[in-house]
Amino acid sequence: MSLRGARGRTGLGLLALGGLAVLVGSCAIALGVGSVDVPVARVLAVLARRAGAGELDVTLLEDQLVWQLRLPRILGAVAVGAVLASSGAVLQSLTRNDLADPFLLGVSSGAGVGAVSVIVLGVGVGGLAAGAVLPAAAFAGALAALAAVLLVASAGGGALRPHRTVLAGVAVAHLCGAYTSVVVIMHGQGDAARRVLAWTLGSLAGLRWGSALVLVGAAVVALVWFLAYAERLDAFAFGETSARSLGVPVTATRWVLMVGTALVTATTVAYAGAIGFVGLVVPHLVRPLVGSRHRALLPASAVAGAVLLVWADTAARSLVDGQEVPIGALTALIGVPVLVWLMARRTVG
Amino acid sequence: MIRRTVLRPTLPTVPSTGPSTARLRRLGGLVLAAGLLSGCTGAPATGSAPPTSSDRFPVTVTSCGHEVTVDEPPSEVVTLNQGATEVVLALGLADQLAGTAYLDDAVPEEWQAAYDAVPALSAEYPTNEQLLAARPDFVYASYASAFEPAVAGTQDDLAASGVGSYLSPFGCPEATDRPEASFEAVWDEVTDVASALGHPEAAERLRDEQEDQLADLRSGAAGEGLDVLWWDGGTKSPNVGAGDGGPQLVLDAVGATNVFGDLPGSWAEGSWEDVLAADPDVIVLVDAVWDRAADKRAYLESDPVLSGLTAVREQRYAVVPFSASTAGVRLVDGAASLAGQLGELGLDG
Repeated sequence: MSLRGARGRTGLGLLALGGLAVLVGSCAIALGVGSVDVPVARVLAVLARRAGAGELDVTLLEDQLVWQLRLPRILGAVAVGAVLASSGAVLQSLTRNDLADPFLLGVSSGAGVGAVSVIVLGVGVGGLAAGAVLPAAAFAGALAALAAVLLVASAGGGALRPHRTVLAGVAVAHLCGAYTSVVVIMHGQGDAARRVLAWTLGSLAGLRWGSALVLVGAAVVALVWFLAYAERLDAFAFGETSARSLGVPVTATRWVLMVGTALVTATTVAYAGAIGFVGLVVPHLVRPLVGSRHRALLPASAVAGAVLLVWADTAARSLVDGQEVPIGALTALIGVPVLVWLMARRTVG
Repeated sequence: MIRRTVLRPTLPTVPSTGPSTARLRRLGGLVLAAGLLSGCTGAPATGSAPPTSSDRFPVTVTSCGHEVTVDEPPSEVVTLNQGATEVVLALGLADQLAGTAYLDDAVPEEWQAAYDAVPALSAEYPTNEQLLAARPDFVYASYASAFEPAVAGTQDDLAASGVGSYLSPFGCPEATDRPEASFEAVWDEVTDVASALGHPEAAERLRDEQEDQLADLRSGAAGEGLDVLWWDGGTKSPNVGAGDGGPQLVLDAVGATNVFGDLPGSWAEGSWEDVLAADPDVIVLVDAVWDRAADKRAYLESDPVLSGLTAVREQRYAVVPFSASTAGVRLVDGAASLAGQLGELGLDG
């Protein structure tokens, strides 16, 4: 991977403005889409009223639909997309592996263990409301898997070498997958198998303001955190030895960023399940546009990931009448053709 | 019924193989031989079969394209799935049962004693050996998964070893063979089963009783003027009773309006947006072992948006057991229970 500064400073600035405009426009369109029809004018009235522009004849139903159901869900999509795509970019550079994605350290399969324990076995968590148990269990499962992977990967020296880490991640993921399958097959009742599968494929349905704000917070923290490491990540592109000779504390950087990406990813998985493909592919789509310098690559990945997820989620809840399409299927459906096109043009791979 | 039928199997679909059929027969022979050698004929029957006029036999009944001719009244019937067990209990023919298996929740109190007098072969599906050990002369099941090789074996295999079998038409593997849910279709199944068991008059009696009950419910019209949400489960998006199944029949029987009555199928995925827009007068919470009504209620009351629904604020709930919401003999009881609960809510439509 060579460092390519694809554009000059002004070019990047224009691209950033354009990207943000597309993101805001996508969110605005998504706000108008739902199974109950709310005209654009009424959507704007709801937003204006909430911004303090008077009552504007907004009905309770309109406010519930636009402000309480759709907006948090859309913000959640933005946050999850941003976290997954920027985490993917970080991990691909850190491990110098094009196949690295945010679930590298077992967080999705670990979260699956927590989720299936709640969905199938009905494991409760003391003092938590029914709706909060699943995210809590998924997050706990993700942390446990992360700890296991780090333990295995750092055994015999804490250098957290990429190939050891990837291998440990694969091993732990398989163990978690085995648990999930056994529980579903042996204890699944009613539509448990379907509910577990649906959780696995990810969904932003049911996000309310509380969880959406947690996700947005995680995304902001992630971006600020990752950007602070942008120059060190640039150095990693030349390989471990070069990075070391450039004065980068290799081991410490690996630990901080691997744990950091895993924590924010685990947060998204807790609320939205393991939405695949975004973290793997978006960085590849963005590099030809903005180059490989992380100061540009990370925010660009975040915006592109956010746009992809907003559209995938809008399609998920509106493509088929009376049925949600799994969002994981749609991220692939939208992303794969773009990736194939870029590969054919030899700008990727 | 499509959703339920597809999801019921907890066993992986195993392709039917020749050897397993042969093994099944050999095992049958072994069990029989072992019984003969030890001079043991199994536990004594709790009661001899009731008198049946032999001129009613042979009887031929057909479901899901499988024709079965019964030459003499079966006295060792095994029922698989709760629905099938309840049909036999409702007919008052429990003393012809050799075993039952696979309850989803519990049989109604009035049949508990009769149910307890028959051995339950297994909590879920029995293994093929457990089934053979019960020495059935007739196997009656609600779902096609009961006739997988690992459970009872195919209906043709059973016929080849002299065991009659009947699959509920609602559980036919081919969707085109399934009747539309109606009380008429339920009574047709009951009549088939009663005839095969040698007591067609029991079906007539049951049908007359249920028709009277339904007539009372219809004239009582406890749900007149009420918009009802039939919530089967699912928090991210609600699984609801749709327009063509058990839930709709129950709501029709009490004169209530199903807010998702225009969706096709027995159950369907609705959307919370539509629920908010409809703002139902009453919410039916389906109580299933895998998804309790109390948990559903807790979710509604803790959700920041759904807690604003009129039915939630005024605590207008009705609870219906899942097993009384599928097309079967308990559907009328489900309607009666709902009518009673609506009456207690004391709403004027």
